[in-house]
Amino acid sequence: MNKLKLNYTSLSFLPILVCIPLGYQLINNIHFGGFKLFQEFLISAFNPKIDNEIIITVINRLNETIIIGFFSWLVSIIFGAIFGIISSNIFYKIFNIPNFFYRIIRFFLTIIRSIHEVVWGILLMQIYGINFSIGIIAICIPYIAVNSKVFAEQLETIDYKSFESINQINAPKLSSLLTIVWNPIINTFENFGLYRLECAIRSTVILGLFGIGGIGTSIFLSFQTLNFRELWTYLWSLAILIIISGLIFKKIKFNTTNKNLSIFFIAVFFITILFSFSCFLYFIFKNIENFNSVSSLFKSSSDLVLFDFLKLILETIILSLLSTGIAISLPPLVIGIFNNNSSKIFIKIFAFLLRLIPTPVILLTLLTFNNPSLSLAALTLGLHNAGITSKLLFTNLDSQDKRNYIAMKSLGISKKTSWLLGLFSQQAKSYLAYCAYRSDIIIRETAIVGVIGSVGLGWQLQESLSSFAWQEVTIVLIAYSSIAIIGELINGKIKNSLT
Amino acid sequence: MNNTLLELKNISYKYKNDLILNKINLKINSGEKIALLGKSGSGKTTLISVLNGTIKPTQGEVKFFNKNFDELDRKHKRKITTIWQDLRLIEDLSAEQNVNCGLLAENNFYFAFKNLLNISSFKKAHKYMQLCRLHNSIYDKKIRKLSGGQKQRVAIARSLIQGSNILLADEPFNNLDPKSITTIKKLLLENVDKNNSKKSPKTALVALHRLDLLNDFDKVIGIRDGKIFFNIERNNLKKLHLDKIY
Repeated sequence: MNKLKLNYTSLSFLPILVCIPLGYQLINNIHFGGFKLFQEFLISAFNPKIDNEIIITVINRLNETIIIGFFSWLVSIIFGAIFGIISSNIFYKIFNIPNFFYRIIRFFLTIIRSIHEVVWGILLMQIYGINFSIGIIAICIPYIAVNSKVFAEQLETIDYKSFESINQINAPKLSSLLTIVWNPIINTFENFGLYRLECAIRSTVILGLFGIGGIGTSIFLSFQTLNFRELWTYLWSLAILIIISGLIFKKIKFNTTNKNLSIFFIAVFFITILFSFSCFLYFIFKNIENFNSVSSLFKSSSDLVLFDFLKLILETIILSLLSTGIAISLPPLVIGIFNNNSSKIFIKIFAFLLRLIPTPVILLTLLTFNNPSLSLAALTLGLHNAGITSKLLFTNLDSQDKRNYIAMKSLGISKKTSWLLGLFSQQAKSYLAYCAYRSDIIIRETAIVGVIGSVGLGWQLQESLSSFAWQEVTIVLIAYSSIAIIGELINGKIKNSLT
Repeated sequence: MNNTLLELKNISYKYKNDLILNKINLKINSGEKIALLGKSGSGKTTLISVLNGTIKPTQGEVKFFNKNFDELDRKHKRKITTIWQDLRLIEDLSAEQNVNCGLLAENNFYFAFKNLLNISSFKKAHKYMQLCRLHNSIYDKKIRKLSGGQKQRVAIARSLIQGSNILLADEPFNNLDPKSITTIKKLLLENVDKNNSKKSPKTALVALHRLDLLNDFDKVIGIRDGKIFFNIERNNLKKLHLDKIY
């Protein structure tokens, strides 16, 4: 018998096997009483509430969301670029600083990045109370670290020879640094920075669900009161905001040859830095007495039993693996099976909704007819991320040369097989590489579904925070961070082998 | 009076297990123009990289102005300019911005900033670009959009604008047409001021492949397998010498 050989195409579909244990648990947990509620939720999508009062609320809430999202984006992109420069090897080469410092900064940023903005948000809210600026700080902390990683990676692609040639001119070191990093920074900002604004708005919505304000809070309140028509008004208005911002981003081109525009951007850069520092100092001095709570981190006792704690860690890892499996395999499977133009439109809309609806709302919706379980949390996280991976897959497939696909079809091979071998097989490798990166984010997002769905460390974190058990909080955060860092290392290896 | 500008003492450079430069001893006097001959892979580029301090030799000493290279201050280092074989221009910047990079050493951070924002003066850059026979239609074009010959001239203009007294060049006449070679060779080997009149003598070490370009050089050095095979006056160069290295 021939040995089974796995290739990138089959590896893209294999993870769908996670649906077997997942489906088994989900079917066992169904409670039919909630289906009516779920049906009502779906119908309301086509009949959102529209009146003067709600339109005014939507405008006000969207304003808050945009303000939090925009400021956290602006601060995180600027400081992300600065930290990106000081965590890239080019900086240390120019200034002849030992690599030791570079490793310390990178490690520090990795730890900060490993904790999701929701966790930062909940933590800061618990210490400082609900506050508009908490939302911005909670998003900024991990976003600065994420952005700095992207900027640093781009700076590391700088041709070493052009660095040598500038260095050899023996200009002041700051001039050499600026000349070398300028274009990679601008290019990264153009290709990645604007997309991060959309991410910041999504994060603001999720933090809103936890009470920070903006449209997220309204979504959560309308869900709690089961006012689905109102809920859909908020969701559709959020969709419009994301679509419009996407269209605007496509039009924006950072023209470095336009002098006035360049001066404007430089002014924004410096004003943001000054403003952020002054706000940060104001925040520190205003909340100085709250730092007692932070110092008590090491004083309070912990009731966490080791066995239970290890169980929670295991649950978090399983949750990540199951969600990643769905996020990888569901998009190619669905696109491959329903491979015609009308289905494609339907799948694209469905994927957009999965991206649009915040994971806690998807989870709460599914909870209407299913008991809380690890499988349900995994399904939620998997579906949301499948919405994101499918967007990438669609974009790549649409821009791909279709000659192989057409040639195979002309040979009489079925449409599905032609799609699989003529189209998808050429994308499978890069698709898997992106999924490896996505799974890093999934690990971090387990915190959100954990809090809502009573699963894993997320749930424990919520419990410990509610009871001000700071030592437990510290232990949970260390565990979270460790899982995320190990996951990132493994995914990095996978990604490198795929690219 | 000791006229030695540059001295290599017993220089060796090893990369992995390969000995690229093998116990090289060399003295270059101020104002000397030296052609460096040798086939591809003989160690010419590595020798130039050792001289400009880009790579550190595994063994031996490099002395400029009687000082070790590492002890040189920025003011002295600025006197050395290099034209690399692979040009090493910044692809995302325009031709004029790249040429202006040659002025970074004599200006402050604000100049670098203005250069990137395109708000600095390009007058001096344009002058040198013109001298290198670059057409003004390509001044604001990004490097990646230029032809090989145009890139070569931009790299030469960037080197010239530095106004350095010591030129290290690795096959600088590649991609150039015969007419341009004559003009550019003159520019590179003779220091010229704003009025195109000669200034202090220029010291040059230029790696070459073409023997017909040797006529403006004082000395010729032949290198093979990382070793100097001859270091003679140009007029004494014989076929016998060339047979040793090619």
